[in-house]
Parts: sequence; structure tokens; C-alpha cells
Amino acid sequence: MGFVGLIVTFVGFLLAASSVGIMSSTGGRMGLVLVGIVMSLVGILGIINPAYQKNAVWKK
Amino acid sequence: MRKVLLAFSFIWCLALAGVAQAQAPEAAAPPPAAAPAAAAPAAAPVPITDADIKGVASPKAEDRAQGDPAGTLTGTSADIPVGDAKVGMTVGDVVSLVGQHQIAINFVWTLVTGFLVMFMQAGFAIVETGLARAKNANHTMMMNFMVYGVGMLAYWLIGFSIQEGGVGAVANLGGTAPLNGEFAIHLFGKDWGLFGTKGIMLGGATYDVGVMVMFLFQMVFMDTALTIVTGTAAERWKYSAFIISSFIMGAFTYPLFGNWAWGGGWLATLGSNYGLGHGYADFAGSGVVHSIGGVTALAMAIIIGPRIGKFRRDGTPNAIPGHDIVLVLLGCFILAFGWFGFNPGSTLGASANGNLRISSVAVNTMLAGMAGSFSSMYYMWMRYGKPDASMTGNGFLAGLVAITAPSGFVNPMASVIIGLIAGVLCALSCEFVERKLKLDDVVGAISVHGTNGLFGVIAVGLFADGKSNYGGSWNGVPGSVTGLFYGDAGQLVAQLIGVATLLGFVFTMSFVLNAVLEAVWGHRVTAKVELAGLDIPEMGALGYPEFALKPEPVLAD
Repeated sequence: MGFVGLIVTFVGFLLAASSVGIMSSTGGRMGLVLVGIVMSLVGILGIINPAYQKNAVWKK
Repeated sequence: MRKVLLAFSFIWCLALAGVAQAQAPEAAAPPPAAAPAAAAPAAAPVPITDADIKGVASPKAEDRAQGDPAGTLTGTSADIPVGDAKVGMTVGDVVSLVGQHQIAINFVWTLVTGFLVMFMQAGFAIVETGLARAKNANHTMMMNFMVYGVGMLAYWLIGFSIQEGGVGAVANLGGTAPLNGEFAIHLFGKDWGLFGTKGIMLGGATYDVGVMVMFLFQMVFMDTALTIVTGTAAERWKYSAFIISSFIMGAFTYPLFGNWAWGGGWLATLGSNYGLGHGYADFAGSGVVHSIGGVTALAMAIIIGPRIGKFRRDGTPNAIPGHDIVLVLLGCFILAFGWFGFNPGSTLGASANGNLRISSVAVNTMLAGMAGSFSSMYYMWMRYGKPDASMTGNGFLAGLVAITAPSGFVNPMASVIIGLIAGVLCALSCEFVERKLKLDDVVGAISVHGTNGLFGVIAVGLFADGKSNYGGSWNGVPGSVTGLFYGDAGQLVAQLIGVATLLGFVFTMSFVLNAVLEAVWGHRVTAKVELAGLDIPEMGALGYPEFALKPEPVLAD
């Protein structure tokens, strides 16, 4: 799952960076960038970290 | 006590409202008086000639031989170097000296502020060591000591070239023309700069006085980012793994984003290429320095895991207090002192090109730090009944981190607001990281530098007031950086793209590199070493060899 989280995190960046080419309006770009940020946060906090927490030292 | 605090907060809000009212523009200002109908025509400018220059009196040699206790004979036209002694002093000699003085002022300013930033390493070292336990003091101190050398080596070898190798001429430093190679790809109809190519090991044409100033200043910034990670991973990080990880970060991770933001890369050109304000604007590095350090610390905290004993079996956290709060707060003061180099120095000059704004940058810096310490102390006092010292120190740093990017673009009122938000944000983020994410961040670096670094980047897009003018343009876009609250939504979008890049790209890169290092080398010491303390097993000597540390009995009230 950690690898999936990395992919989601990176795709969030790609989405935000490509917003300048995909959209022409400021509002559209902002919306796409915000979606990208949320994707990256979900990837880090919602997927990668829980995947690593499964084997946390305090659970042993 | 809470009533007193509530009353105090009410007074504080009233004071803020009063100041805001005082700073609001007058709604019905009287029209200006009519200009005099028959103003005298301005006299035509008269060019200065060589004859005028030669007519300037110089102190006589015999007068100078008598000494100059009043300081009126020293530093006169007699001290201006003459190009041709036979011709004597000319206008050209004077103008050349004026130009060199401007660059000299900027050189001295940038170098001295760089020295202040270098001294921040001492602040980080004692903050982190104070927040670690005594049994790890030598190890924590050594990480902070050697991150300077390791990072510098990596940056000299390749990092500086990647970051600044294509920045081009920097007017404040008299031009850094040899840094003229930027690798770019063509995307969405524009060039996207990815990394620089000139300046490897400061060789060739980059053996240049302006480039040297640039290198020193950028190097100490890079080292600041690297030392953030050591605080999060302290008390369990294998020393050899720390060396390798820091080298990689100084050579590649930091310089890459640094190029995109400060080296003429694609983030900096979002304004000129796509009309997003002035492109990603990060005056002194909330994003470039602190967020890179913060998100890398987040990646490390996930990979390396918490210290033994930090969490109980049910996942609730245990407090592991640091061994010396005196060191912690002293370190915060040293850092705040260094921040006067960090932010005002980022003008890269004190003369010309709007650089007198260094005074505003310095005041913004001190105000935000104050506000951050105040709001975090206040939050902890209200929530837990005591004004927690370490969180107050972290709030101080959080305010400074958050104002780092906006410091050159905002007014003092915005600085106080940014600092107030940063202090509370720091405390909330620390709780979230520890209780929800179950991550062990020894010094709170993820919250101080990561969360507030990202907030600082966003704050530029909100609070920049459009009053700054650094040579008439920023990132090649004429005019002043202006945030959403002053009418430019495009600037906020550029800042958010920077945030997305830090979270999506820098985190991913840091995570992958450190995960590979974990697989082939291992980041964490053994449980036996961790429980014994890292000083003897990792460093061969105790931090405090002559002290027998034992717990004090707890006395009842």
C-alpha cells in the first residue's frame, strides 16, 4: 500500500503542475491545484503513513 | 486564571482592531489643493564635467599628517582612485567608484547576513540537543555539527550547480553572468526550467566574485534545511545513515526545488509564462528551506518510526521531555538572531533596486516571531493550564518560519496576523502529528518547519500588499507581488502550485531516496543501542561524562 500511496501523492503533484496547461482561467487552475494538494495529502497521511503504522514498534 | 486570560485576549483583539482601524485609508480625504497656476519652470540639468571634478578641494597632505580626530579629513575626494594619474580625476573615475560602492555594499550585506544564517546552526544544535535526552546529547550535537560539513561538501560538488547554475545575472551582485546554463523542457507551449548546469565545484568561469557571494549565501540556507531533519529523527538515527541521507538531500533534493523556485526554474516562471501573478514567490524560503526540511522530516518520521516508549500499546503517546529547556530557549534566541540574516539578507543587497526595504523585512521578521511565541504560549496556557516553555519556543520559531516567505512582500500588520496564526497552527499540528498520525517528532520540526512553511508560502498569496519594488519586477514580471486580499488571485494559484510541488514531489523524492537507504543500509539503531543511549555505541563518548543522571523524587504540592 505504501507504493500506492506514493503514486497517489505524485499524481497529485502532476495534476497541480499541469493545471496551467489544462486550464486557462484562474478559478479553474485553482480548483485543479487544490484537488492535487488534497490528493497528495491523502497519499501521505491517508495511505503511506497507515501502511507503515501497521508494523509500528509500539504494536509489538 | 482562565478569566484573566480571556480578559487579556479581549484586550488584545481590541488593540488589533484599533490598529487596523488606524491603518485603514481615509474614506473622505480632502482633495489636494490646486497647483500654483504659474509654477517656475525647472532649470535644465547641467552635466558634470571633468573640470568640475578637478575643482573639488582635497585636504592638504600637511593637514592629514596632523591626524584627523574629528573625522572630517578622512574619506574625501583624495581617496578616489584615479585611472590615469597624468589626466587626473575624471567623471568616469567617480562614476566607476559609485558603481563599485553599490556592489560593495551589497556584497558586504549579503556576506554578513550569510554569516548570521551560518550561526543559526548553533541555534538548531542546542535546541535539538536540549529537547533530546541527556543520554543522546553527544550524538544529537554531532549530527547538527557535521550536517554543516556534509551538506556543504554535497552542495559544492553538485548541489549549487543544480540550484543556481542557470540563474543568470543577479543585478544586486554586479551580475553573476557565468551562471548561465539552465536545462529546460518544452511543455504546454513554454520552457520549463528543471536544473542548472554551470558552477560544478565553482570551477571554470564561475570562479567569480559575484558567484562566490551567491554560493556562500545559498549554501548556508541549504544547510538550514538539512538540519531540520536531524531534529525529527534524533535519538534513534544511525549516524552513518544520517551522513548518507544528508549528503543526498544537499546534493539533489534541496537544490532541485531550489532551482525551480530561486534558480529561474519553472515555478519562478509561472508568472511570465502563464500569467500567474509573479510566479511562485518565496522571499526567503518558507517553502524552499523550511518546507523542504519539514516534508523530508515527515518522510523520515514515517520510515524510521517512533522511539521506544513514545507510544503505549494502545497508541496513546507518552511525553518524553528534553533534558535542558535552558538550552532550548537559548537556541531559539540564537535562531531569531540569525533570522535577521535569513530574511533581510534575502534581498541580496542593501543598495539600489528597492533594497532599502530591508528595514521593513527585519521588522516583519521580529513582529511575526513575537506573535508566534505569544499565541502558542497563550494556546497552551488555555488548553493545559500552563504556558509550556518548549511549545512557546516552537511557536516563536513557527512565526519566524511562516513570515520567511512573505517577509519581503507584506506590511507589519499582516506580519503580526501571520505570526499569531502560525503559533496556534504549530501547537495544533504538533498534537495532530503525535496523536492522530502516531509519529514521533522529537523537536516538532514537522509542525514548525513543514506545516508553517507551507502556511508561509500560502500567506504570500494572501497578504502580499503590492508595495514592494525590488528593481521594478519580481521573477521577470513587472510590478509588485500582490496577494488575493489586495486583488491578485493568480498569485495565490502560483503559491498553491508551490505547495503541491512540496507535498507531491519533494515528499515523494525524499521518501523514495530514504526508503532505498533504509533497504540497503538501515536508518535505525538497534533497540539495545537506543535504550542505552546513542552516545557510547554510536559516538564512543558521553555528552556529559562527569554527571550521574538520576531521577529526582517528585514532591507533592
